[in-house]
Amino acid sequence: MKQEIFLGNGAIALGLMEAGCQVMTSYPGTPSSEILPEVIRLVESENLNTYVEWSTNEKVALDNAFAAAISGKRAACCMKQVGLNVAADSLMSAVYMGTVGGLVIISCDDPGPHSSQTEQDTRFMARLAKIPVLDPATPEEARKMAGLAMELSEEFRIPFIIRPAIRVCHARQDLAWDKLMNNPKKASFEKDPGRWAATPRFRFILHGELNKKLEAIGERFSDLSDINYHNLEEGKRYPLGIIAGGVPFAAIQDILADEKRDHIPLLKLGAPYPLPKRLTDEFMEACDKVLVLEETDTLIEYLLGDNQKIFGRISGHVPSEGELLPQVIFDCLNKILVELKLEPFTGKGNTGVTELVQDLGLPIRKPTLCPGCPHRASFYTIRKARPKAIFTSDIGCYTLGLNLGAVDTVLDMGAAITMASGFYHAYKQDGVDQPVVATIGDSTFYHSGTAGLLNAVYNDARFILVILDNLITAMTGMQPTPGIGIRADGSKGKAIPLERVIKGCGIDFIKEVDPYDTKAMGALMKEATQHVASPDGGIAVIIARHPCAIAYRGEAVPERIPVEITDDCTECNLCLDRFECPALYHDETLGRTSVDQALCAQCGVCLQICPEGAIVRSAEA
Amino acid sequence: MENVSMIFCGLGGQGILFMTKIFARAALDKGLPTLGAETHGMAQRGGSVVSHLKLGPAASSLVREQTANFLLALEENEAYRNLPFLAPGATLYVNAETDVFPRKEVSPYMEKQGITYHAFPAQKTAMALKNPMSTNLALMGFFAAYENEPFTHDELRETIISVSPERFRENNLKVFDAGFEFQQ
Repeated sequence: MKQEIFLGNGAIALGLMEAGCQVMTSYPGTPSSEILPEVIRLVESENLNTYVEWSTNEKVALDNAFAAAISGKRAACCMKQVGLNVAADSLMSAVYMGTVGGLVIISCDDPGPHSSQTEQDTRFMARLAKIPVLDPATPEEARKMAGLAMELSEEFRIPFIIRPAIRVCHARQDLAWDKLMNNPKKASFEKDPGRWAATPRFRFILHGELNKKLEAIGERFSDLSDINYHNLEEGKRYPLGIIAGGVPFAAIQDILADEKRDHIPLLKLGAPYPLPKRLTDEFMEACDKVLVLEETDTLIEYLLGDNQKIFGRISGHVPSEGELLPQVIFDCLNKILVELKLEPFTGKGNTGVTELVQDLGLPIRKPTLCPGCPHRASFYTIRKARPKAIFTSDIGCYTLGLNLGAVDTVLDMGAAITMASGFYHAYKQDGVDQPVVATIGDSTFYHSGTAGLLNAVYNDARFILVILDNLITAMTGMQPTPGIGIRADGSKGKAIPLERVIKGCGIDFIKEVDPYDTKAMGALMKEATQHVASPDGGIAVIIARHPCAIAYRGEAVPERIPVEITDDCTECNLCLDRFECPALYHDETLGRTSVDQALCAQCGVCLQICPEGAIVRSAEA
Repeated sequence: MENVSMIFCGLGGQGILFMTKIFARAALDKGLPTLGAETHGMAQRGGSVVSHLKLGPAASSLVREQTANFLLALEENEAYRNLPFLAPGATLYVNAETDVFPRKEVSPYMEKQGITYHAFPAQKTAMALKNPMSTNLALMGFFAAYENEPFTHDELRETIISVSPERFRENNLKVFDAGFEFQQ
């Protein structure tokens, strides 16, 4: 037995490897990104034969895992919740077809949201697709559910979804573990066109089959006393009961224990869909009122359907947005206790500390691009060259270009390009030549840039596309890209240079520049502008290529240039507003801008931007 | 030992995850059940970062307001921001100049709640040793100078030795020791 502290995502990896998962595919996205690297760590340390890949996007990942699962293998596929949107086409169809081996999809939710565009609830996506879903409360439970989902998926021949929320993914917990499974199962795909290539007529039959499976799984869920259970006493009636799943279940357990209110009955739903109806009926009957605690939407409330009895989001007792933090749950429940004239909590009431802290006027900490980040240099030059442009951008670190006034829109993966062509045509229709500059990262371009670029070229849109190529997927924790051709496990794959892909999309203007050289990039922006405006021109693509300052620490700053600021500084604040380097700050005592030497990456780019020449190279850092 | 709840806070990039890892690992080595919650993703790019850690049996990885025993803050404003987590009688450690912390607006509250605080220029200490990224270790050393629970100085130091990659080990210890000796 080994005792080790696992990140929740590591616990999921552990559960999958204990269950003999043979194929694992993923596209990185917070909060799911660490699952695949943790799988690789276990595969390497325990010498397992699991095939692992970073796929180019979530749909690609799911299709790959699905093929393995219908060859009889055990496969898993993981992504963040909005990644499941990308894979939705595949998801809806896969569940009709079913599986032969096991297929577990892990889709990580982000209530808050901390690092996502939406707070969407994967459990609803599961309901829409008619896929069973498990909702873990802790890393330990997520590990257990990974194995359980794999077994049930294989037994019922249907994909399973596990929905860990961010507080499971990024929790840490000590776990004991021993043996992992080296699954000997061989691939053996049996042809059956009526299933694997079903036409609509057969789809109708498959739908009926799926409905029968769901009924049987709902029955099974009522008996899964490990993850669906309550603590009712036989024959007793209760004025109030609580139904909870996922992270809120863990929080309410601690609150009831702290407040010594263990006699309030609790139904835990670790598997909410298909609803374990026998169990929920039992619970609803024994309680006069029921509080439902779930993240982030109202799945359990809808499935229960008894609006007279339920306190929840529909009744307005539980907030409809944001995380259900322990304090939020504490306050919700306490209000209900008062409303029902039950004994309220004894725990600390309002001490006024929240208001006290609010009144301190603490600085709002915006995330910013790192010191030395090449994107900062790119954005500075782009905005300077085309100040009147609409700046469409995308998902990644470079979303933070909005701090520099060089990002106007962020919709979804790939939308920098699709919205650029959309804006162009919307203005063009009115006879207006509106300049548009799109920015997209290298990994995001490989994920979903090409379809939009093909469309834009085909329909003769005109804009400048700057691909911010930092040779890594940075925001999600430094995963490799097809551009550098290194695979998930560090082995060599075939590199596919951006230039080749872009050329294949029909682009004639493709030029590379190092954004650290703001002059060269500025000149290139001018050239690109001319190409866009020329009658026989078209879309101009600039590849702003410079290694990420974090991933390639040494290479990123080849020459260390220590800087300081002289008294020539006129406090014009251009460097603070349009360059926004965390190492530059307004120094109250000196009455000018100063350099925070602890943060400065010594990239020297700021030397190129000060209109007064007040930022200078210093002899010593 | 009773259950201990801790909050670690500061700005993205200051090494809050590493600090949490050291404490969690020390707990594991001591055989204590460990459960914690971290911030990843966009906030790590310089935003407010908070880590929660519970030692002893617990179900939820999140510390509820007014229930934390310790707050370790790598930045002064983040210490104020996370004040609501502290339980009455709790202790706060902060990277700040001793003569500026705390702001006068919060003193009456801390006094009323019986919250003890210890301020120490951890970043300056780390910078003086040419390790500006090791503010976290300086503050941990400073913490160890006052507390024997949940971990003794020796236990924390041993954990730093075992967790630090070899090329950083010597420097990490140097900064930790400087934090520890600051008071004594």
